[in-house]
Amino acid sequence: MELNISNIQHFSVGDGDGIRTTVFFKGCALRCPWCHNPETLSAAPTTLSYPKLGKTEVRGRRMTVEAVMEEILEDVDFYIESGGGVTLSGGEVLLQAKEAAALAREVKAAGISLFVDTAGHAPRETVEALLPHADTWLYDYKTADPAAFRQVIGGDLALVRDNLAFLLSMGANVRIRIPLIPGFNTDESAVNAIITDLLTLGVKGVDLLPFHRLGSGKYAAMGLEYAYRNTQPMIPREIAEIQKRYQVHFSTHVE
Amino acid sequence: MTLAQNLRNEMKTLPEGEFCPAYYRWLGLREHLDAPIATLRGAGIASLFRTPEPHIFQNDLIVGSTFGLYTTAEKTAVEHAKQTVNRLGSRNFITNADHYAPNYRHTLAVGVPGLLAEIQESLEKYAHDPQKVEFLQAMGETMRAFRDMIGNYAKKARELMDDPAYHKEYLEFITDNCEALVAGAPKTFAQGLQLVWFCHTAFLHEGRYAMALGRIDQYLWPLYRADVEAGRLTPEIATGLLENTFTKISTSDVVNIAIGGMNPDGSTAVNALSKCVLDAVRNGNAPGPNLSARVSPSMPDEFLLDCLKSIGTGLGYPALMNDEVNIKALLRMGYAEEDVYDYSMVGCIENFITGKQPPWSDGRFDAPRFFDYLFHHGVSRFHGSVGPDLGDIEEIGTMEEFMARFEALMAYGAKEYVALFKTQNEGIHQEYYPEPFLSCFAEDCIGRGLDINNGGCIYPSVHGAALMGVGTVADSLAAIEKVVFTDKETTLAELRDAMDANFVGYEDLQKKLLAAPKYGNNDDFVDKYAVWYLDFLSGEFDKYKTRDGGAFYVAMAANTSNIWAGKIIAATPDGRLAGDPLSDAASPTYGRDTRGATATLNSVAKPNYTLAACGTVVNQKFSPSMFEGEKLKKLLALVRVYFKKGGQELQMNATSRKVLKDAMEHPENYPSLVVRVSGFSDYYVRLDPAVQTDILNRTQHE
Repeated sequence: MELNISNIQHFSVGDGDGIRTTVFFKGCALRCPWCHNPETLSAAPTTLSYPKLGKTEVRGRRMTVEAVMEEILEDVDFYIESGGGVTLSGGEVLLQAKEAAALAREVKAAGISLFVDTAGHAPRETVEALLPHADTWLYDYKTADPAAFRQVIGGDLALVRDNLAFLLSMGANVRIRIPLIPGFNTDESAVNAIITDLLTLGVKGVDLLPFHRLGSGKYAAMGLEYAYRNTQPMIPREIAEIQKRYQVHFSTHVE
Repeated sequence: MTLAQNLRNEMKTLPEGEFCPAYYRWLGLREHLDAPIATLRGAGIASLFRTPEPHIFQNDLIVGSTFGLYTTAEKTAVEHAKQTVNRLGSRNFITNADHYAPNYRHTLAVGVPGLLAEIQESLEKYAHDPQKVEFLQAMGETMRAFRDMIGNYAKKARELMDDPAYHKEYLEFITDNCEALVAGAPKTFAQGLQLVWFCHTAFLHEGRYAMALGRIDQYLWPLYRADVEAGRLTPEIATGLLENTFTKISTSDVVNIAIGGMNPDGSTAVNALSKCVLDAVRNGNAPGPNLSARVSPSMPDEFLLDCLKSIGTGLGYPALMNDEVNIKALLRMGYAEEDVYDYSMVGCIENFITGKQPPWSDGRFDAPRFFDYLFHHGVSRFHGSVGPDLGDIEEIGTMEEFMARFEALMAYGAKEYVALFKTQNEGIHQEYYPEPFLSCFAEDCIGRGLDINNGGCIYPSVHGAALMGVGTVADSLAAIEKVVFTDKETTLAELRDAMDANFVGYEDLQKKLLAAPKYGNNDDFVDKYAVWYLDFLSGEFDKYKTRDGGAFYVAMAANTSNIWAGKIIAATPDGRLAGDPLSDAASPTYGRDTRGATATLNSVAKPNYTLAACGTVVNQKFSPSMFEGEKLKKLLALVRVYFKKGGQELQMNATSRKVLKDAMEHPENYPSLVVRVSGFSDYYVRLDPAVQTDILNRTQHE
């Protein structure tokens, strides 16, 4: 069985507990305009060109589960010592749920921790396919406003909400990840709406991921305009204010 | 402002006149020009210690500096002194003058009077042996002069009591400590530290460089503990005194300090004083004290985390040494177990049997130049040197044949290296260059009545051959195996022509060579050559002995000399251009390890470093955020696993503003600098300039 992979990143330190290897899946149905991994959006191979560096790179390759496992197993000692493991990320993992589950089965069979980083925007059966294998879900919750979700991101919030409710009802270990996007979900009403939503769903803790524009170099390398190119990174005071609001209701961690 | 900061400022104002130790040495020499050599040299040293006017800083508590070695004496006299001392000659690094870790444990136990008594005892024992008597008398004379130097500081402190610029209580503290040391062995932590610093100052008077302080957290521990238990000392005061002392280490010196380590039963030697030393070095934030941490599995996580925090300030210290590997490497040399477990480092990283072997020497083995000989009938025009002619490159049909010839050339190279070193080293007749003072700090020179370099030490001299360019060599061999013999994309003859042309007109071939597997990516195809490199060369150097029967150690560590070595080495089969730097120390070629820190360390842990008794250096840069919060624990796990896998050393650095600025201007030099946040990572040089500036602005240290 083959997976469509953008890249495999060793020594990942921001994608869950400990030292992890992150497998970035290729292809995503959503189009968040702030996305920092634009090269993972299309399922087809994507070319990044850096003329000033004289470098070109193609992202997107078919890999067998065995080949991915071989790379994962290289770092097994580091996972054990640090309490780390593997994170499946993307792109959207759930778009390749069957293949991802095959990989996840192997990861678990090797006794390695498995995290799934997802936006949750996919049919229920894809979530079910991964449910038996995932130790933790890193689950994006970008907005509580269905209209904004449809117009800005291009998807159906109900699907995300339902899948989240399902995971929580199944007792899955879920960490909500909220990207803090200036002008999209950081004003008081947007934050309150998210809080209300998450409380209704019975969520206990959230991770806040402040906006950064590190991805703008990738857009340029793909010949695309980045809508957030001129948006300044958030300053600690802004982040702290938002964190304060979430903290009232949830255990809150800023990445 | 702390006391140390005030002291640093005060030290910026240099004394009047010219810095000229030779002048003070000459004042002693001229009185004994007709004396036997040990007496003559001893008199020079004694004058160096006794004659200069001690200089006491207003913000100092542990006194002793070379400020007294300035002179305003008449120019002609000064020039004459310099010439005379120069013509009399001295040892240098190659002939074992410095890079030494004194036996401070014993020095502290008996004090200066104790050492003088030992010398006297030996004098009586060897009364029938005029040569030993002469040497022991010279030892005694220098040791008495050293005692006078301490006394002179006490006297000076007394004289300054009425000077309003000075703190009276500081001067009283200094006087008490100095007078106690003249009279006996140190009884407090401060006196112990003061004695060690006087010894170090005396070595600086003699012109020595890279004199190590060794395991200061171990040999000062009994005094520290007794003081703390008696309520005379707090960790804060001890840290302050240490910082005060370290402030006086010149930024251009390399004074190795080894903290931590394990005991023969495997338990950790880390103690409360280890933390004081670490804090003092970190507070000082200056490069002179070269702090090493001997890391064992038993080292508490908390202490290792403190070490990582110190590194993350931008200081880069301590360098992390794997005790398990170093101890195995030294046990292989046949030293007694208790001496091995008490090892420290001299210079940058060189493993040293503390106080029991002659001063260190080392040199550079430029392995990559042997490709040039192999491809050109033994002649390297670029390097301007010649090796054996093993025939035409076109006769080679397999990788095995290539390796056989390459090994033959390197074996020859090792033989040549040893011959040239011995000529240089033995060119100096030991009996003409006695070191009566330094010998007082090596077991068992006093007991044997012999010089440190002439049979006085209980162990013989060793030499470290720094094997250059492991990455360059491994990458080159892998490129030949892949491109020439596996893929048959080129011939050795064409490869030779391409290297001769520095790849001009052979760009496609160079691309293929550069695309071959590279060391540092956890790929056995190439990593096996790094393993072979250390196995083979340590085996070759094992065949030789130094003049007094010691070992030739190998190292993979050479500061920045990979740059200088690279300048004189032709293009190599890995696609490297003529004159470009070689791979650095034991690290992969810069920028070619592209699969993340775990892959780099998986590769680099493969060679058997228990064969590298001298030591190795692996440089790794991390972004400053790795040294903060939860990520720090991940870094700790990274180090633990790397050492468990057999890595020998890790020199970590937090990327500085300077590096980030330079990377914006010269991206070609920073291909592997990575930025990581949640769900994202990219190379720094690929980021939008505005984003690069964001990161730069967030980075604190220069």
